[in-house]
Amino acid sequence: MLSRAAWILMLRKGGRGRREMHSPEAPARGEGKMPPYANWYAQRSYPMPEEPFCTELSAEQQALKEKEKGSWTQLSHAEKVALYRLQYHQTFAEMNRRSNEWKTVMGCVFFFCGFTALLIWWQRVYVYPPKPITLTDEWKAQQLQRMLDMKVNPVHGLASHWDYEKKEWKK
Amino acid sequence: MARLSHQKCTPDFHDKYGNAVLAGRTTFCIAVWTYVATQIGIEWTLSPVGRVIPKEWRD
Repeated sequence: MLSRAAWILMLRKGGRGRREMHSPEAPARGEGKMPPYANWYAQRSYPMPEEPFCTELSAEQQALKEKEKGSWTQLSHAEKVALYRLQYHQTFAEMNRRSNEWKTVMGCVFFFCGFTALLIWWQRVYVYPPKPITLTDEWKAQQLQRMLDMKVNPVHGLASHWDYEKKEWKK
Repeated sequence: MARLSHQKCTPDFHDKYGNAVLAGRTTFCIAVWTYVATQIGIEWTLSPVGRVIPKEWRD
């Protein structure tokens, strides 16, 4: 098991590594927040986040932001896409994409159900007392004959399912 | 409108192993439950109707 310090280090490295690709947060803030608690996080029910995705802009990106203040007809398609990517983390298509997470979840559910069966197996072997004589096959067959002789529940119940002429269960 | 299929560029754990995890563990669950329910002597007290052949009890 990893110690707490090692976990924090791993999380911090992973989080900051992802953020540095897009440079959204100032490193001086420390660890910062991860989605969905980050200020740039958007989802279908919350489409306009408080902060733009990239706040640290290179000189080239800042020049683009200046150009954005002018007429947008002067922006090329690639520039518009670049501005979108500066402002937003994901497009709606990306954020709403389906995932295969349910397969992993259901797989784990079935795994633990199967593990339960192993526990019940152990319980049968080590906890259950010996089977009483009344549950052996021979005893149950004799018990059934006696119940049929007594005509137990002859209207809708047990004896009503037995054919007394042919001496077999009714089909 | 062309959709950016971002998911296909970086398949995550569920894309790579989801099918195998689901299939394998479902098989494990079904197999072990079938064995436990039938082979190890658990009494389910099922109805004798259609199943048990009565036997003479008066000696």
